[in-house]
Amino acid sequence: MSSRTAGAGMHPGWRVLTYAILLVAALYYLLPLFVMLNTSLKSLAEIRSGNLLSLPQDPSLAAWSKAWGSACTGISCDGVKGYFWNSVKITVPAVLISTMVGAINGYVLSKWRFRGSNLFFGMLLVGTMLPFQVVLLPMARTLGELGLAGTVSGLIMVHVIYGIAFTTLFFRNFYIGVPDDLVRAARIDGAGFWRIFFRIMLPMSLPIIMVSLIWQMTQIWNDFLFGVVYSSGDAQPITVALNNLVNSTTGVKEYNVDMAAAIIAALPTLLVYVLAGSYFVRGMTAGAVKG
Amino acid sequence: MSRSKFDPQVWLPKLVLAPTMLITLVFIYGFVAWNAYLSFSKSRMLPRYDWAGLQQYERLFSNDRWWVAAQNLFIFGALFIVFCLIVGLLLAIFLDQRIRIEGAIRTVYLYPMALSFVVTGTAWKWMLNPELGLQKLLRDWGFENFTFDWLVNPDMAIYTVVIAGVWQSSGFVMALFLAGMRGIDDSIVKAAQVDGATLPTIYRRIILPNLGPVLFSALIVLTHIAIKSFDLIVALTGGGPGFSTDVPATFVYAYAFTRGQIGVGSAASMMMLMAVVAIIIPYLYSELREKRA
Amino acid sequence: MQALTINNVRKRYGDVEVLKGIDLDIAAGQFLILVGPSGCGKSTLLNMIAGLETVSDGTISIGDRDVTDLSPKDRDIAMVFQSYALYPNMTVRGNIAFGMEIRKVPKAEQDEIVTRVSTMLQIDHLLDRKPGQLSGGQRQRVAMGRALARDPSVFLFDEPLSNLDAKLRVEMRSEIKQLHQRTGTTVVYVTHDQIEAMTLGDAIAVMKDGEVQQFGTPQEIYDSPANLFVAGFMGSTPINFIPCTVHSQDGVPAVTLVSDHGEVTVRLPHYAALQSYEGQEIIIGLRPEQVTQVDSAGAPPGTITFSAPVTMLEPTGPDTLVSVALNGQRVIGRAHPDAVPPVGQSMTLQANFSRAVAFDPKTELLIQA
Repeated sequence: MSSRTAGAGMHPGWRVLTYAILLVAALYYLLPLFVMLNTSLKSLAEIRSGNLLSLPQDPSLAAWSKAWGSACTGISCDGVKGYFWNSVKITVPAVLISTMVGAINGYVLSKWRFRGSNLFFGMLLVGTMLPFQVVLLPMARTLGELGLAGTVSGLIMVHVIYGIAFTTLFFRNFYIGVPDDLVRAARIDGAGFWRIFFRIMLPMSLPIIMVSLIWQMTQIWNDFLFGVVYSSGDAQPITVALNNLVNSTTGVKEYNVDMAAAIIAALPTLLVYVLAGSYFVRGMTAGAVKG
Repeated sequence: MSRSKFDPQVWLPKLVLAPTMLITLVFIYGFVAWNAYLSFSKSRMLPRYDWAGLQQYERLFSNDRWWVAAQNLFIFGALFIVFCLIVGLLLAIFLDQRIRIEGAIRTVYLYPMALSFVVTGTAWKWMLNPELGLQKLLRDWGFENFTFDWLVNPDMAIYTVVIAGVWQSSGFVMALFLAGMRGIDDSIVKAAQVDGATLPTIYRRIILPNLGPVLFSALIVLTHIAIKSFDLIVALTGGGPGFSTDVPATFVYAYAFTRGQIGVGSAASMMMLMAVVAIIIPYLYSELREKRA
Repeated sequence: MQALTINNVRKRYGDVEVLKGIDLDIAAGQFLILVGPSGCGKSTLLNMIAGLETVSDGTISIGDRDVTDLSPKDRDIAMVFQSYALYPNMTVRGNIAFGMEIRKVPKAEQDEIVTRVSTMLQIDHLLDRKPGQLSGGQRQRVAMGRALARDPSVFLFDEPLSNLDAKLRVEMRSEIKQLHQRTGTTVVYVTHDQIEAMTLGDAIAVMKDGEVQQFGTPQEIYDSPANLFVAGFMGSTPINFIPCTVHSQDGVPAVTLVSDHGEVTVRLPHYAALQSYEGQEIIIGLRPEQVTQVDSAGAPPGTITFSAPVTMLEPTGPDTLVSVALNGQRVIGRAHPDAVPPVGQSMTLQANFSRAVAFDPKTELLIQA
């Protein structure tokens, strides 16, 4: 699991070159973030006179407060704050519900398999690959029938439904690695289905719970497709509001406000990534390699 | 008193899984079938359930905008995948050389994956802005005649989507490859060193050939991202200039939800499904074969 | 009273029958070993006794209760697993007490039992640790402690020692034996290791392909294996199989063996049943310890001597295993280290055929003397 021992025989010149390439690549990845931050701190006049990399002469948070509280997104001019809280209201319950359901499903599909359960797991996996465009129209109709069209509750429902395939996959693959003997020992000790789940399985699931929470949080927070199709007006999530703000054609283009709003939209997932990056990577690779 | 009938351990797991099974059947398989039916119906502004055979598909295939979208997906997908794989693989190899600050560098390479494609699109839209973006930066640096107007050039705009897409996803491919390299048994590498293999030989003959499965996974994921690409295009180019950067995903949205052509939209989405099925089937096949072996 | 009765038990998965009608019964306090190669069905049978797998056909009784359809918790059993199956999130104390907690044993009694069991197993200083902080041998003890705390009428062990290194395995083996002698509880113990089977068991069931090949005491199984498979499976140095043809010498069945230095004819007077095999081929089974250096004090009756060049030597310390060719077959003997010549030189050995067994090559069954 260690790095190649090969570094030992490498010419010092190659090592310098290796580091140089890695650092240039790092700058390339950091550039857009820096530009966004830089631009968000400048005034419009300064943006026009300077360039992407010229530092702000007089850094100001004015663009940030406008983006948060008074920028125009489509019809209303109250900034993105309402939409930010919409995203929170959508993300928190959808993440919690889908993770909980995924944990129980994964437990059944790994430790209580029955005739047809593997087939069902295969069918569920298709859900992780489904291009959601295929279900957009029927779901729109269904949400309408249920009276949930254009509401936060409707979006929560959609995210839970199409997130379960992923969370189930995570937990199922995690629990497959837990020895079956553990469940057998607990059954001999007299524990039943729920007690084994809550007393034995769940307490050892912290890593995969984190993976699932973080994966679902990034997916749902960053979602745009369901948001743009199934929400309207006051119920829109932040991604949709950001797009409306940036692409609204009326008035003067305020790049600094756009960038501040973009960073606000990115902040929660970036924060999670910085704090729990390893779980984030595990989730992505688990979803990728197994999904 | 047979256990199979009265013991809760027998029926409880099935009961617990039942809601998910129902959801899967209705909201995945049922909805796909429903959507398929719409694509064979006369639906326009509103869903209508009169059978129309292949009429919607005929309209789709005679639509120039659809063919632009399909062609764009092909161009974008191919370049996006190739560049992500190249950049990801190279960075993984460089990062595999006992780099001191590997953790920090990896974090930097990967953070774009945590961003929404809408944010990525917004950032790159600003940077690629022909007046105030990179073009101005380079001109300020003394390259007076530097011109970079791909974003507003209908022939070149699709390539800006590639640039932003590769920026966002190549770090992820790097992480996949790096994990794959670290997963290779160290003693194999040591054996090769004992046999006198040089570093490039070790990579070329031992490590890279062992990354086949990782490459395959990366290919599947990237293809999947490419086909589903929607938010990046909406945020970066809005499908424009004109509809020069339309892809199937934006085409479906436009026809099904803004232009009131439900039938054509659902037919187009079925074509997207076909594309995904075409990549899933070899994947599932290889997965199943591995399990049997 | 019988502690455990297994009556014509079968297990089918679809069309595949993995247990083909098992009949076993043991008295209370006995130590039953289920031994056989992997895939023979021994673990499946143990799981069925535990109630972790359903029984397709037949019945299982513990004591005088038919438990065939009872769930594991109602069978009055405890089980020790190969992987130990300790609950990773609970302390050692929690692991041992979990079953009692579920059965709502009063707290004071739980504490008392945990103390008693952990003292007995010398793990009382580990009670507040998590399984992840324990060594392999300590985990093994905790797993046994969890089973002991239950005080069941039958203990089930599923290859409990196979994850331990060689030295620890021998140690734990004798501890399990002592524990059994102390508690006197009935044990069913699954292993693929014939040494464990021989050393621990009061009764051994040798299994293969879902069938019991032989059920008996360790000595019966070692001395009169029911068939070629049992003969070959039991014994740490494999038994010698020598194919040869039966003829009659003065009305007594005999076989002639060819070595590099001529022929020897062995009369097998105690093997009356061989008379009907006259002119036919049989397979003689001879344990290595019956082939040894010539004893100057004289050989027991039924012993022959022969000479052959030594082809290989394997010193084990107290003895050296000597390979020679007899009847074109490699035969291993067990000789005193001082008595063996270097490889390539000839050695004279004596073979005690009064302890030999004979098998019918067609049915592979023991020819009963």
